[in-house]
Amino acid sequence: MSGSSGPEGRPGLHVEEIVEAEQVVGERAQEEVALGEKERTGARGRRALTTAAWTAPGAVWLLFFLFAPVLMIVLVSFWTRTVSGFEAVWTLENYEFLFDSNVYWDQLWNSFWHSLVIVALALVLGYPVAYFLAISVTSLRYQIALFIIALAPFWTSYLIRAVAWIPMMGRRGALNTALQEVGLIGEPLDILLFSDFAVTVAMLQLYILFMVAPIFFMLAQIDRSSLEAARDLGANAFKTFREVILPQSMPGVVIGSIFVFILTMGEFATVRIIGGGTVSSVGTIVQTQVASVQFPQAAASAVFLVLAMVLGVFVLLRFSNLREEL
Amino acid sequence: MPDEQTVTQREGAPTAPSRTPSGTGLELKSLTKRFGDEVVAVDDINLHIAHGEYVVLLGPSGCGKTTTLRMIGGHEEPTSGDIVLDGQSLLGLTPDKRPTTTVFQHFALFPHRSVRENVEFGPKMHGISKAERREKAMTALDMVGLGAMSDRKPSALSGGQQQRVALARVLVMEPKALLLDEPLGDLDRLLRLRMRVELRALQRQLGLMFIHVTHDQEEALSVGDRIVVMHEGRIEQVADPFTISNLPENVRVASFMGDNNIFEGTVTSHEGGRVSIDGGDAQLRALAAESDARVGQQAVVSVRAAAVQVGEDARDANGPNQLLGQIEVVEYLGDLVKLHLAAAGRRLVAKVPGDRFPEFRGREGSSVQLSWKEEDVRLLRA
Repeated sequence: MSGSSGPEGRPGLHVEEIVEAEQVVGERAQEEVALGEKERTGARGRRALTTAAWTAPGAVWLLFFLFAPVLMIVLVSFWTRTVSGFEAVWTLENYEFLFDSNVYWDQLWNSFWHSLVIVALALVLGYPVAYFLAISVTSLRYQIALFIIALAPFWTSYLIRAVAWIPMMGRRGALNTALQEVGLIGEPLDILLFSDFAVTVAMLQLYILFMVAPIFFMLAQIDRSSLEAARDLGANAFKTFREVILPQSMPGVVIGSIFVFILTMGEFATVRIIGGGTVSSVGTIVQTQVASVQFPQAAASAVFLVLAMVLGVFVLLRFSNLREEL
Repeated sequence: MPDEQTVTQREGAPTAPSRTPSGTGLELKSLTKRFGDEVVAVDDINLHIAHGEYVVLLGPSGCGKTTTLRMIGGHEEPTSGDIVLDGQSLLGLTPDKRPTTTVFQHFALFPHRSVRENVEFGPKMHGISKAERREKAMTALDMVGLGAMSDRKPSALSGGQQQRVALARVLVMEPKALLLDEPLGDLDRLLRLRMRVELRALQRQLGLMFIHVTHDQEEALSVGDRIVVMHEGRIEQVADPFTISNLPENVRVASFMGDNNIFEGTVTSHEGGRVSIDGGDAQLRALAAESDARVGQQAVVSVRAAAVQVGEDARDANGPNQLLGQIEVVEYLGDLVKLHLAAAGRRLVAKVPGDRFPEFRGREGSSVQLSWKEEDVRLLRA
């Protein structure tokens, strides 16, 4: 420490010594790099082959169940409708019909906003749940137990859960009866079923876990001592949340939002069951067209639904640099 | 004490530690922490730490050293007792309200922020303007030699560099007391040896109160002005490193510090400032005051491994402070040789200079003459 009382007298660690200390680390790293290079030149072909082999099943899967159907939908949307289906004759008729239809655009716009509202509600209601599970519960055993309980709805099929809303929320359902018994309401509430409100609440209940889970996993990864460090450095509880917890959970927020957005945007089953005949969505429009064998028309409607979803995902991705942060 | 001299030498420097009169500094008063009804993590600790002092809390895991540190930092509330800094109690203050900052064992850097933003965090939380906090952060980073890496993310740094970011992040806060919780625990050995010297130098230059928690005896001796040896929530001994190493007060300190040979026996005579102790197969003689040992009492003594002289000349093996030992293992450690011996039905350790290694190489199983001076026999409290 010859320099420690040097003329500058400036407190500090001494760079030469640090460099010396780091040299060992550096040398080790260099060895690794050298090894890596050797491997790359010698076995590059074999490694590429291995990589291809590992990705092949996934690629085939995506090709057949995602790219092919989407391509098919786009193709069919430009084909001509026949009585029993469609034939491969190019036409813009389907789109002309679509652009003339105010109902479709209103519905697309509605579904878009509706989904965003559900995403926002799921975030507002789901984040505290994820926070509680990941941060407030300190025992790992309770954490796992509570998370499994949160997953419990997924033990039954999605349709059963949707159908279960009818005896729960109907005019003469459990909730209305209970409220009447207690005397909070005189007449049964009609809004609880076959209404926009009911569809929103039901979707929220069905999909909120897709928001909670990714946020939970991001929050659970946060080093708790970094929260203590934040407190130690002068952040109060709120600032610790805003400056340390929230930024680190953003990838979870974005992924959860994409899940909920995509899933609710294309929804038709819940809308049908809970909404009765009173509520419709782009999904129900497409479904109706399919049911009446208007495949090319349905395909054209679906194309814009997919475009709207892509647009939504694009907007959501602006909130976080997933590739860097995950 | 050599350490005191070092302190006074530096008093001319502008940032030199000023030994403060009583009333200032950090005072732990009957500090106690219980977890539930059963566990007493910290048991009635009283300790005064002056500004500019480097104090090490040393002990095995579970001895309460980290809990004590966390209570000072505000991360744990004491069950009873008080923590007073410069006459003001810190009790009830959350960590952000205390003039202390902590270096955590695993660095606890913010992974989503760059190195500079990590260091800027504290000043930012205290509402310091962007330009000023940037300047402070860069000064602190230059101080630890990381100015060139300010835009990197912590994950792109080596362990030693992350450690230095953690240091810069607390130094920028200009705390009254810097708390270090096993700060070198995550580093590999070579870096640890280097960093402890850096820590020591940094503390000297800043003149700050450092409170450093470790379980590593050598690390404690290397950095501390004073060492607080803890065991099961209590303080066993508070002293400068030289005293802790050479004059342990009791059995627990002697055995925890390691390389002490401990003998038990009965005091057989006491005359002229010397006590004789009959330890069965081993006869010991020590220097001791009248009050420390009475004839007929049980006594425990320790002899440092380095004080044990190892020779071949067969003197009277039954004399006081002499034993015939058998070498079990010869451990060569570079500048010294550690001999693990069996003597008088017990295991002993002796350290001899490294250049004597050829003399002992391959000598496992052979007998050697062990002896030590009576002034090296330390009478311990039980």
